[in-house]
Amino acid sequence: MELKITTLKKSILAASISLLFSANTFAETDTKHKMHKLYQDNCASCHGADHGGYLAPALNSETLKGRSPTALRTLIMTGSFETLMPPFFGRLSDSDIRDMVKHLQSTPKLANPAFTIKDMKASLKVYIKDESKLPNKPTFKIDSMDDIIGVAARGKYGRGNGSEAVFINSKTHKQIGVIPTVTAAHIIEFSPANERWAYVKTDTAEIYKVDLYTMQAVRSIKTGWNGPGIGISRDGKYLMAGSFVPHNAVILDADTLEPLKQFELEGIDPDGKMVSSDSGMVIGTPYADIFAIALENAGQVWVVDLKDDFPVTKIKNVGRHLHDAFLTHKGKKLMIASYDDSIVTAIDLEKREIIKKLPAGCVPHVGGGAAVKVDGRTLGFGTNFGTCDKTVVSVWDLDTMKLVKQVPVSGGTESPAAHANAPYVAVDIITKDRRARTIQLIDKKSLEVVKTLDVGGHAYFPEYSADGKSLYVSAGYAGDEVVVYGSTSLKKTGSIQMESPAGIFSRGRVKYMTRGLSPDEME
Amino acid sequence: MKLLTYSLATLLAFSFSTTSHATSIYAGKSKAAAVCSQCHGIRKTSAEAPFPPLAGRNEEYMENALKQYRDKTRVSDIMNNIAGSLSDRDIDNIASYYSRLKP
Repeated sequence: MELKITTLKKSILAASISLLFSANTFAETDTKHKMHKLYQDNCASCHGADHGGYLAPALNSETLKGRSPTALRTLIMTGSFETLMPPFFGRLSDSDIRDMVKHLQSTPKLANPAFTIKDMKASLKVYIKDESKLPNKPTFKIDSMDDIIGVAARGKYGRGNGSEAVFINSKTHKQIGVIPTVTAAHIIEFSPANERWAYVKTDTAEIYKVDLYTMQAVRSIKTGWNGPGIGISRDGKYLMAGSFVPHNAVILDADTLEPLKQFELEGIDPDGKMVSSDSGMVIGTPYADIFAIALENAGQVWVVDLKDDFPVTKIKNVGRHLHDAFLTHKGKKLMIASYDDSIVTAIDLEKREIIKKLPAGCVPHVGGGAAVKVDGRTLGFGTNFGTCDKTVVSVWDLDTMKLVKQVPVSGGTESPAAHANAPYVAVDIITKDRRARTIQLIDKKSLEVVKTLDVGGHAYFPEYSADGKSLYVSAGYAGDEVVVYGSTSLKKTGSIQMESPAGIFSRGRVKYMTRGLSPDEME
Repeated sequence: MKLLTYSLATLLAFSFSTTSHATSIYAGKSKAAAVCSQCHGIRKTSAEAPFPPLAGRNEEYMENALKQYRDKTRVSDIMNNIAGSLSDRDIDNIASYYSRLKP
């Protein structure tokens, strides 16, 4: 009897131990799931759905090895000053933040999570069924649709009510429409063929087709997990979207947003290694029915013909870690930045070959690029992050493809703006101290910095209005406004409030292809 | 514009004043931009943020609240830490700045 009881006791003990154990594992996987979802819903739009980093640093067991959990917890609570990282105090509970730190420090970078054509098709949303019933002219007063400027407002948290594409009349400096985008808007493309359509891409790779006449989204589709790359063909019929996560790109019907063909981005990099690659810039050009797309890690530019089954010509050894680019010479030449080689490579899109590799300061980031005609020469301006000693803006003669000058500026730069009718090329200083509040203006003729404007916030992404009379600048995070200056007087003429504005895109760009060139160059 | 007029007025007023405890909305502005605005925004907080906006709020109320947070007579994990490093003058400057901002 006693023995029996002992056995019973033992088995009860065993049972309860195993129960406890399984409850424990259950709780663990439960937390794991919860944290995965919390990460995707709060962190992934900037830090990457694969934990591999995107606009913001990679957060995984490798990159966070040895970091103090307390310090990480504080950083999540208060946010990081002078960066886009917002404070999560009050948005996430203290226990969730603690669990998140554990989760991040124990999760490896995920291997290229798939997002297939099937996933894209399933994500297609139609907000306006019959577009033919929409009014056939703008429902607001505007002299020309080219006067529209679109601003990608990120929203403090990179998602939610502050995340939207804001459209402004650049003559009155008044807001004319807002398109909520759920997550941070990043790039706005305007159709070169039909003035009513614009396309907004978010950091979580959704594309919104926007009717500018009525200022509403008519359709949307998700094309990946992360990645801002988007281009439109010269006839306005096709879009191409590229992703950071996963490593692919897709051609869409610009009218219906149906995906037509997906491309796996991989290739042999300049060091001879076969790599899977993020998508860099995607660009359509006014001279032919093609797209050019940069494979960041593979150091290749692919030229895709918009015919048959969209055949690809691969241009290899363009540079290490490619990023953004701009067009010159009626769109036949492409100037593309290579971060790791600190060069800008000129590519002939007609011959589909490299023309030349040009010195470009330090970690070049050309933004939307800028080119101006001065005294018979076409000059291109190249900004760069300048994370080493050299903080310069490179000026190249785009006809001879030679470096003309490296203009010293006060810090790293991210995006230049120019206009045929404006005397200055504006560059944003992004070095993370008080300089981040400023932009500098380079005189087109003397190629010297002639003025520094204190915009406030983290000022970046300058852009001229289509008429060249106004200079728009995002006062960025901590600024929460877009500030407008007279392009010659450099006096403040307007301010438009929004949450964490970033990229500014004038519809005028479709006329002059690259900012700074006159529409006549396009003839 | 109002702000500018006010700042000119304050400048004038204080250039005649001998008190060492003059508030400066300029100093307040730079402190607010560097610290407070991270959560509370300048004119308003993020549509998604759980933090109260400060622009246009009562100056005296903000001064008291900040001093209480600093002295830990009002308890908040995060505000006790952030206000902990502020001097009386910082607090006066910040309250002076935010109270005069139009939301």
